[in-house]
Amino acid sequence: MVGLYDESMLPEMLPIYYTRLFPQSIFCRWLSCGSSPQPLSNRELSFTLADDVYLRYLSICNQKELQLLLQKKCPHKLDIGAVYNTKPSIGRHDAVVLSRELVFDIDLTDYDEVRTCCQEAKVCEKCWKFMVIACEIIDKTLKEDFGFQSILWVFSGRRGIHCWVSDYEARTLDSPGRGAVADYLCLIMGGDNQNKKVHLGSDNLHTSIRRALAVIDKYFDQLLEDQEFLSSAERLDKMLKMIPDEALRSQVQKTLESMPENSLLRWKMFLSVYESYCRESGNNARKIRYLVEEIKIQFCYPRLDVNVTKGFNHLLKSPFSIHPKTGKVSVVFKPGNAKNMKLDEIPSIYSLLDDSAPDNAQHEANMRVAVKNFQEVVFSLEKAEAMRRRNDANMSLDF
Amino acid sequence: MDLNIRRKSTKVQLSGSLVETYPHDLQMYKIPPTENITLQEFETLALERVTLLRCLATATTLKGLRMYSEEWTEYVIGELKTQGLKYYAKLCEKTSCATTEADLQARRKDHIAHFILRLAYCRTEELRRWFIARELELFKMRFATMRSDAVETFFKINNLCYTNISDDEKSEIMHHLRESTPHSNIDNMKFYKVKFYEVLDLVKMRKVYLSGGYAYIAHKDFISVLSAQYRTQLKQSLAVASHHLGEIEQDERLVSLLKGLHQSYSGDDYSNAKAMIPIESLDSLSVKSFPLCMRQLHEQLRLAHHLKHGGRLQYGLFLKGIGVTLEDSLKFWRDEFTKIMELDKFEKQYAYNVRYNYGKEGSKKNYSPFSCLKIINNTVGPGDCHGCPYKHCDVSILKNRLQGYGFEYQAINEIMDMTKKGHFQIACSKYFDAVHHSDMGLGINHPNQYFEESQKIAKGDIKVEIKKEAKPSVKKEINDFDAMDFEEIM
Ligand code: SF4
Repeated sequence: MVGLYDESMLPEMLPIYYTRLFPQSIFCRWLSCGSSPQPLSNRELSFTLADDVYLRYLSICNQKELQLLLQKKCPHKLDIGAVYNTKPSIGRHDAVVLSRELVFDIDLTDYDEVRTCCQEAKVCEKCWKFMVIACEIIDKTLKEDFGFQSILWVFSGRRGIHCWVSDYEARTLDSPGRGAVADYLCLIMGGDNQNKKVHLGSDNLHTSIRRALAVIDKYFDQLLEDQEFLSSAERLDKMLKMIPDEALRSQVQKTLESMPENSLLRWKMFLSVYESYCRESGNNARKIRYLVEEIKIQFCYPRLDVNVTKGFNHLLKSPFSIHPKTGKVSVVFKPGNAKNMKLDEIPSIYSLLDDSAPDNAQHEANMRVAVKNFQEVVFSLEKAEAMRRRNDANMSLDF
Repeated sequence: MDLNIRRKSTKVQLSGSLVETYPHDLQMYKIPPTENITLQEFETLALERVTLLRCLATATTLKGLRMYSEEWTEYVIGELKTQGLKYYAKLCEKTSCATTEADLQARRKDHIAHFILRLAYCRTEELRRWFIARELELFKMRFATMRSDAVETFFKINNLCYTNISDDEKSEIMHHLRESTPHSNIDNMKFYKVKFYEVLDLVKMRKVYLSGGYAYIAHKDFISVLSAQYRTQLKQSLAVASHHLGEIEQDERLVSLLKGLHQSYSGDDYSNAKAMIPIESLDSLSVKSFPLCMRQLHEQLRLAHHLKHGGRLQYGLFLKGIGVTLEDSLKFWRDEFTKIMELDKFEKQYAYNVRYNYGKEGSKKNYSPFSCLKIINNTVGPGDCHGCPYKHCDVSILKNRLQGYGFEYQAINEIMDMTKKGHFQIACSKYFDAVHHSDMGLGINHPNQYFEESQKIAKGDIKVEIKKEAKPSVKKEINDFDAMDFEEIM
């Protein structure tokens, strides 16, 4: 489908898209609410133009200015930055970042060492399940553990998802705070030189890890079949390297290698070998108490780009921006609905603006749903902000 | 801050007021000192505190001890005694609230010295960070050695009152507390509810139960709350101090002293190269003179013709530090990257980064190459191969690699031994000796320092004694601390 269109059509299509389809009004409300108590104009926007020219430190006062700016520059990509103490502009080096949504960026390229269906820029329905799991786990953690409520989930445009937390507490969190939240969520650690990247120790498992495992368990068998984690000798070898105990490793290797190349069967067999090994070796098994959980997590747990979360003023692609390579819209979706999303049903600028395109009707409908999802989050954010302001006012009256 | 410096001291201090000012060994340093002190005392106090903070850093990095472990604290206190800083040893060893004259004087020195160093360390972001990290370690160590009655007094003095959660609330979340709190004996503990951002260090390590934005902490976790407050307060006051530097620096006697303070310890930051290194020699240098972290990046780059961001930064800055010019650097990265991508893409996406490292883009800062500490504490994720191999490699992978390099069996064992114990920089030093067939036992704290030491040997500035001699004993023990007079040693 994408093949019918190409990037060279963007300069013509984008102005129409920005005027007719981009939810400008709700976008401005979201941003200004998320900037308060600072005015909307203190928020940095940044544009990537055709030819990768990069404009930073733009800002707008209201929707009218946004419309003008979009028409004038026709950005191929739209990014959102932090809120400063003054109107951001290139020349100012004394500007201070005051707040910024707490953001998360999950990209399928970080799953390249585990996913087997695609690599690099490619995605398919199979590896999208990794995103489904990531979204569910992170969403729950943010809500249940941290008590955040204004959480916006956005398709990144190609092969990942973004999450924006707009609660006042999240927006004003300092960088050590962001770092701590990111580390709290990060269970997979280590680079290409570490085969085993998850270490849960041998004490009790933290409540948040148990909850994450419960989510993984819902999808694990399906993923095993889709991804065939254990089918070939090479893949099996990867999993074997995660077993630190040599005796167990060679037992597992021997047993699994003699089996048919079916990942699900092999996994079941691994479980039973592991269990009987633990039973026999008693105290020794303490070290590998959570081996099964560790392997599951290494295969399925969300892989965050922690630098994006930790940085206070990292730019991140805006909701409803167009991905210049795929033409897809960065739609807002409901976390509970991630598993029903079909990649080719995500609206693209080409089919939205071409009445005769086969998926035009469906893409238009999905675009409307995305805008509605966006609205819902913004409305509840506005309510929460109004409440916060009222409380603050009451507090100061009390004194 | 209002420090008046006089040449002669007029010290007429009443212990009575000292008791009021310094009721407790541990302070939060909220109020700056106002008394007059001599220039000489000023200087002495400053140097002594730098020594103290330095001990903390050495214990963690060079000795590779786990922070706040018993050995760590022991090492620090022992070191303080050897260095003749008995009063600090005393303040750290058994933090209390006694009021003998010696106690009061020690606290007074502690107080003044802390504020002097604020002036010395507020100058740059890097200095501030170093100072805050060390002062926090000090604070936590002292809190940990405090007896429980002293803890109570400390809370009282600092107006820290919190109420614990009710038994009902506790029993409701009991099983979560069990899962998520590392303490044993939870049943008998009181729990307190604080906002999650008050205990970030516990959140980070997943050592606390979180629900709805609150952290449920036990009494002994309060050190997290306190140190977080202390950190914030320290950060703010350093920022304020840096704005007022001008006023203080009108006294030029102080300027040179304050400026030189950290330099005298940390030495070079390697941001300016001392020699010129042609890129043609990098292949051979990587074998002969690079520490393993850089050799690994070099080899990976040659192999894959690509490095991820973290690797480009770590290796790029190192190369700058050893003396690869900007032009050469650009050529070096271009030659590799264009084996797998179009020139255009390199120029657009990567050349900026190279120039940035040399301070030619962005904020135009002359970035300094990373120290070991920074590299070791860096986050390394999937697809990355930067970091310190002794920390960020699986033991088996590291061992294979060393075998591949053809080291002797025993050398490999020594390196692996240190690695497994978590003594990364000592492992690095062993690697140095294995490469150079030496027995120098260098203390490595910077990859560029490693490189320079290696170059000294290569150029014959240092003669290497062939290995396998009796090892010189590293440390002379001084047993009788009390016999040493504090004043004499200064
Ligand atoms: S100890 Fe320092 S120099 Fe040695 S490998 Fe690690 S980071 Fe590199």
